Amino acid sequence: MLRLVAHRALLSVPLLLVIIIVLFSMLRLIPGDPVQALVGDFPVPPAFRLAIEKKYHLNDGFLLQVSSYLLDALRGDFGYSYQSQRPVLDLIVERAPRTILLASVGFAFAIPLGLVLGIVSGATRSARTDKVITTAALVAYAVPTFWLGQLLVMFFALRLGWLPTQGIGPLVSRAHGMSWLLEKARYIALPAAAFAVHEGMRVARIMRASVIDTLSQGYIVTARAKGLSRSEIIRRHVLRNSSLPLVTIAGYAFGSALSGAVLLETVFSWPGLGLLLVESIRFRDNMTVIGVVIFSALAVIVMNLVVDILYAVLDPRIRTQR
Amino acid sequence: MNTSQDSDIPASSSQPLLLDVKDLHVHLRIGNQIVRAVDGISLEVRHGECVGIVGESGSGKSTTARAITKLMPNVSLARFSGDLRFDGLDLLAMADRDLRRLRKDSGFSMIFQDPLGYLNPTQRIGKQIGEAVSRDGGLSREQSVWSLLDEVGLPDARNLVRRYPHELSGGMRQRVMIAIALASRPKLLFADEPTTALDATVQLQVLQTLYRVQRERNMAVVIITHDLGVVAELCDRVYVMHSGKVIETAATQDLFARPRHAYSARLIDLSTHLNPTERYA
Amino acid sequence: MVKEQNTTHPAPCIIPFLSILHTGMTRILATRHGTLGVVILIGLACLAVAAPLLAPYHPFEQTPLSLAPPSARYPFGTDNIGRDIFSLILYGSRSSLLVGFGAATAALFVGGAIGIMAGYFRGPTEAVLMRVIEVFQTLPVIMLVLCAVALFGSSFWLLIAAVALAIWPMEARLIYGQFIKLREREFVAAARVADLSTTHIIFREILPNAIQPVIVQVALDASAAILIEAGLGFLGLSDPSMVSWGQLLFVAQDYMDSAWWMSLFPGIAICITVIGLNMFADGLNEIVDPRREIGGLQ
Repeated sequence: MLRLVAHRALLSVPLLLVIIIVLFSMLRLIPGDPVQALVGDFPVPPAFRLAIEKKYHLNDGFLLQVSSYLLDALRGDFGYSYQSQRPVLDLIVERAPRTILLASVGFAFAIPLGLVLGIVSGATRSARTDKVITTAALVAYAVPTFWLGQLLVMFFALRLGWLPTQGIGPLVSRAHGMSWLLEKARYIALPAAAFAVHEGMRVARIMRASVIDTLSQGYIVTARAKGLSRSEIIRRHVLRNSSLPLVTIAGYAFGSALSGAVLLETVFSWPGLGLLLVESIRFRDNMTVIGVVIFSALAVIVMNLVVDILYAVLDPRIRTQR
Repeated sequence: MNTSQDSDIPASSSQPLLLDVKDLHVHLRIGNQIVRAVDGISLEVRHGECVGIVGESGSGKSTTARAITKLMPNVSLARFSGDLRFDGLDLLAMADRDLRRLRKDSGFSMIFQDPLGYLNPTQRIGKQIGEAVSRDGGLSREQSVWSLLDEVGLPDARNLVRRYPHELSGGMRQRVMIAIALASRPKLLFADEPTTALDATVQLQVLQTLYRVQRERNMAVVIITHDLGVVAELCDRVYVMHSGKVIETAATQDLFARPRHAYSARLIDLSTHLNPTERYA
Repeated sequence: MVKEQNTTHPAPCIIPFLSILHTGMTRILATRHGTLGVVILIGLACLAVAAPLLAPYHPFEQTPLSLAPPSARYPFGTDNIGRDIFSLILYGSRSSLLVGFGAATAALFVGGAIGIMAGYFRGPTEAVLMRVIEVFQTLPVIMLVLCAVALFGSSFWLLIAAVALAIWPMEARLIYGQFIKLREREFVAAARVADLSTTHIIFREILPNAIQPVIVQVALDASAAILIEAGLGFLGLSDPSMVSWGQLLFVAQDYMDSAWWMSLFPGIAICITVIGLNMFADGLNEIVDPRREIGGLQ
């Protein structure tokens, strides 16, 4: 088993390198002035221009540029954001945890919701219940998350005034302890809800398929032959065996969290990685754009590895091989 | 090995039937066609008797067993009618709760063709057998499991109970299935193609186990198979099925000696040739 | 149980194609989901085509009444510069459908080509390609798309390309799987005594079954593409010369407190389109999986 994981890990390294090189190449392929492309909507006086050209080897060969970028990246230097006057990595490190927070809270609601709905619709004897839940999931999945966010803001924040419309916290906060937590909760409620609806339905869909698949297995017939009741069968045989896809969901959750974050954070002005990406695009701060994407790719690849390991641990068939 | 003295007289006609099936119809709706999987069959099984149901695939033999035990898969039923009586109880009209009670204790059990698919891959063997054990207050569940494993010829119980299905060989898995089926002390065991998926040498072992267990427990067994060779040694009586109907039934010796139908004769020819004078130890 | 054999006879190419279409349509219309999906899609297509005829105003026409709530004159209200939202939505259906199906088709070709390559060459090529597909699927696609659009611009065709970039892995996987199945069948068919009916077996039996999941996937891809395109529009990155539902939501973002209709109606339009496509796909799928006829455990 360890061999399998090591094998996948080893494959990931060249993959990451390729991604970095491809993305960097995209940076160089931007039409127009290469210096401007690196710097963004920032004025470039001649002396500054020379300095930039020297620093990023703009007049040397492509190979040199790529390798210097790679080496820098490995050292943690993803470039400099002239827009924010800070190293790109700094920005990423500051913003990433907020996205993770949003995604975590969102998933904390999405997963139980999806689990329950998925299992109920998969295992129910009533075709009508199944159809109702499936259709509801379909509709919920079709709703664009950012639009849902807008609707939630318009209803709960603007019309009812229960919750704030945007941001991660008030400008000035004097709360401590419990009230600080409550305050934070108020701000995270709507974005997390919008996130949870979409992801929850995805979980429900996957769980339902998994439950249906498990129920068609032979050992369920054996369980029935043993005289077990429906609820006993679901509890003892279906739940555990249908849950394997959950691990997959959890692992790839990071990728979907980042995808959802981009749009949701824009609606709620939530200062996370997604908003950083959007802002950088607006200001043509391309180094940051590339940096964020590379970071995301790296994170996703690492998470995939973790998923592989978890799969091996949970499925005894893989675990006991050799 | 055949218990009936004279093959033309049914053995102990005064003894009540354990399983009495009359005019069973199971029609399936597949797509927009109706398939008459079981088209009006009747059969009887007495206590302690071993009965074979033979036929080629598609003859309806498996569906018969699945229908009687009410373990049908998720298919749309166009018709499911007949008079099914087990130990005097009406199976068709029986409530779910009572049916489950029958499966749990002193009713009937079933073993299947594909032991790998029919055992939970993420559960240990001991747990899967233990789940089926009907407690009588005497032995602990653990002890019952060991005793069952011993009975089916898998003595290394302490080690075995911690294993997962995929770690066992095909023959061992099938014997675990038998152990599971025996755990509920059934009066009747259905065996659906018990040896078809196994290697030839292993087939013999599993059949020996079945034979021994049947004798020792005086348990009725219904073997469903396409291989008359399997039936030849184990079964007292045979039903031959084709296209959902029973086309012939006789005591095993009689069937082999004087098959009345050309189809039965052909099946006999196709069967694996076991030496008819061999005995299982 | 006896099944009937199909009698084969030489026939021109068009007849199998029409029969595929016919069986396909009857299948879809058999389910409620499928029928609803088809109805929605046809309705949308009609709206898109007939937009100039149906829209009371030209989409870019600015009426003096800005930020007006829905009324008889402006059924969906007007936006901040006085454009009629109803007309905007009608015209917006064009770009959404075009981009949606355009990207799905592009993904079909690109993904299909890669899938077939992986299936054809087998060996190390196959392993590498499958791995690439796998990784692509797990990367946060929105980021890739954003990146591409941000760097290279958002004219119509670039948009389609960028969105296709996000969707192609699913198609590749699917076509790869179908190709493998096809190969195996061909071997089996060739093993039999060769006769003219082999080609007809391919057309009558294999192709109709192979096409169905592809159509399902294209429908699903189109719905994903429309959502992605809406997202791009929402970030202000869609083609400015065309009306896009996402773009309408982008503008609505600043007026959430004063003009709820600017957000509600474009969103509903997107929802209905995506739901229609998904129901269509579900309708087709439902036939393939009759397991659900009697639900759960018996």
